[in-house]
Amino acid sequence: MSGQAVATTPAGRSAFLGMLEPLGPLVAAFVVAGLVLLAAGHNPLEVYGLLATEAFGSSRRIAATLSAATPLILTGLATAVAFRAGAFNVGVEGCIFVGGLAAATVGFTFAGLPAALLLPLALLAGVVVGSLWMLTPGVLKARLDVDEVVSTLMLNFIAISLTAWLVNGPLLAPGSANSATPMIADAARLPKLMPPSTLNAGFLIAIALLGLYALWGSRTALGFETRLAGMNPRFAIASGIDVPMLVIKMMLLSGAIGGLAGGIHALGNVGRFVAGFSPGYGFTGIAVALLGRGSALGIFLAALLFGALANAGATIQFFSDVPIEIVDILQGTVMVFAVAQLGRLIVRRRRAA
Amino acid sequence: MIDNIIHAAVVMTTPVLLAALGGLINRVGGLVNIGLDSMMLAGALFGLIVASMTGSWPVALLAAAAAGGVVGLAMSLAVTRLQANEIIVGLGFLVAVAGLVRFFLSVAYGSSGTLSLPDVARLPRIDIPVVADIPVLGAILSGHDPLTWAAWAMVPVTVWFLARTRLGLRLRAVGAAPQAARALGLNPLMLRDLSTVYAGIMSGLAGASLSIGVVGIFNEGITAGRGFIALAAFYFGRNRPWATAACALLFGFFDAFQIRMQGRGVPAELVQTLPYAMVIVVLTAVALAARRAKARRA
Repeated sequence: MSGQAVATTPAGRSAFLGMLEPLGPLVAAFVVAGLVLLAAGHNPLEVYGLLATEAFGSSRRIAATLSAATPLILTGLATAVAFRAGAFNVGVEGCIFVGGLAAATVGFTFAGLPAALLLPLALLAGVVVGSLWMLTPGVLKARLDVDEVVSTLMLNFIAISLTAWLVNGPLLAPGSANSATPMIADAARLPKLMPPSTLNAGFLIAIALLGLYALWGSRTALGFETRLAGMNPRFAIASGIDVPMLVIKMMLLSGAIGGLAGGIHALGNVGRFVAGFSPGYGFTGIAVALLGRGSALGIFLAALLFGALANAGATIQFFSDVPIEIVDILQGTVMVFAVAQLGRLIVRRRRAA
Repeated sequence: MIDNIIHAAVVMTTPVLLAALGGLINRVGGLVNIGLDSMMLAGALFGLIVASMTGSWPVALLAAAAAGGVVGLAMSLAVTRLQANEIIVGLGFLVAVAGLVRFFLSVAYGSSGTLSLPDVARLPRIDIPVVADIPVLGAILSGHDPLTWAAWAMVPVTVWFLARTRLGLRLRAVGAAPQAARALGLNPLMLRDLSTVYAGIMSGLAGASLSIGVVGIFNEGITAGRGFIALAAFYFGRNRPWATAACALLFGFFDAFQIRMQGRGVPAELVQTLPYAMVIVVLTAVALAARRAKARRA
């Protein structure tokens, strides 16, 4: 009894485990991907070493990694805010598409406006449209208890097809054969931070939002209510919190951040909206939110990891025969292990022994 | 014209129906399978490879079923033994398997996303004499491959399995009340694993019906989200096999209709959104009806 108390206080122990917890899924995922690499005749350690140098080896490479992490910070954040309120939003991918198209459309339509006006306006368009995209699943979840996983998942496919139609027809750039809008005005472009690299002001916006999220979660009443509602809805209702309204608010906020992610991708990287706009940023965002355990620092580190993998994966293909798909395998396995109780593996083995 | 659409609709229904019946059993057992699409993808790839290697379509179907079953087992173990959230594991498998498939294609065949092999044994078409010449009925009944027949045969079999067999009853018990089922001496985890492996096998066959049934090649986008349509079908059908089959058929018609409408001024992209939009509409209608029923009782 006393020995138990002396060894580790429950609080101290859980804080320590909490820090180590995300490492388990990472290690497990790297082992699985390592086995795949081994089976394909590659030395996993060599590949991982190469990935690390390519991702962080020079300031130019670090800039590219931060640039690749930018949309993931935002989509991870978007997933995390909904998750906090107990709403499992898997529709951030769709928000990127509609938000990106909205921002790009403003960016090429009002080309005459000065940058100080056009840029915020275009980003705002992405935020508003992304937010509205989540209105239906939010209201359906809050008022009718319609499974938000299914509704938001379906909305992803609708968003992708709908935007593909728009850029093939009404919004197709004149004289362009491929499905894309016209290029946005220079005034709508997010300024680059380190010119040769694609790193742009969107990264600063993402970091600022992360800071706001941390403050919001720990310092504001809404942040506290949201956490309460996510952890125990019945207790939250009993203590006078309007949980359905909270769910709607958080879904709208989630959609707004997702739309912003699309807007930043359009105005900072692509310069317009094209069909197949997002390579799954929304889905990677789920992995980021899970791995980051919903904390601002965790989300940043997880986004950095996936950004590094995506960035380095693209370049190592040039001078080695390691297929870039190893990055997808890593992402998927991280997602699987991030929610698995890895401790069970050890417990069972000990029991068997 | 109408015969063509009907025939195409039946063809496009087969993969959705197979995967949906698998997902249905899985859901009855208590696991919502978001990863059906990944099992279809695995089945489509291995079905094609084995069909080319052996030149035998029955062997190819076995390989496709096995590939789907292995993915299903891996997914199930993560959910049942490591107590991971089934939705996230499903999404993770979608990402990981798509990556694995592309990795494999690039390492083994040096190809980027598409695989075309020589001497692929395609699924044979079963033409029924006399019936084949009758309009409409001929399109419905004749000229389909064995998997289509098997898929429809599985509908009454699934009804019978769930209602009349010992295993079916146990599965329902496990899905409805795992604790009580355990108290009765059943092994809920094992039964749930079995149902996921079954969902994987059915989805693997669904994938094969696309790769060696419909097109004869493999493409990384070959499933085109049909695993999600299957998910929608058993959600709609609320775990009833015939209702699920009706939904799968409806989606088959959408699919065929959309292909027919291409190049006729109706944008294919908009038609493609219809099944997904319908899922949301029907889920809403079901929820509204449930609320009204509850209000009446109160």
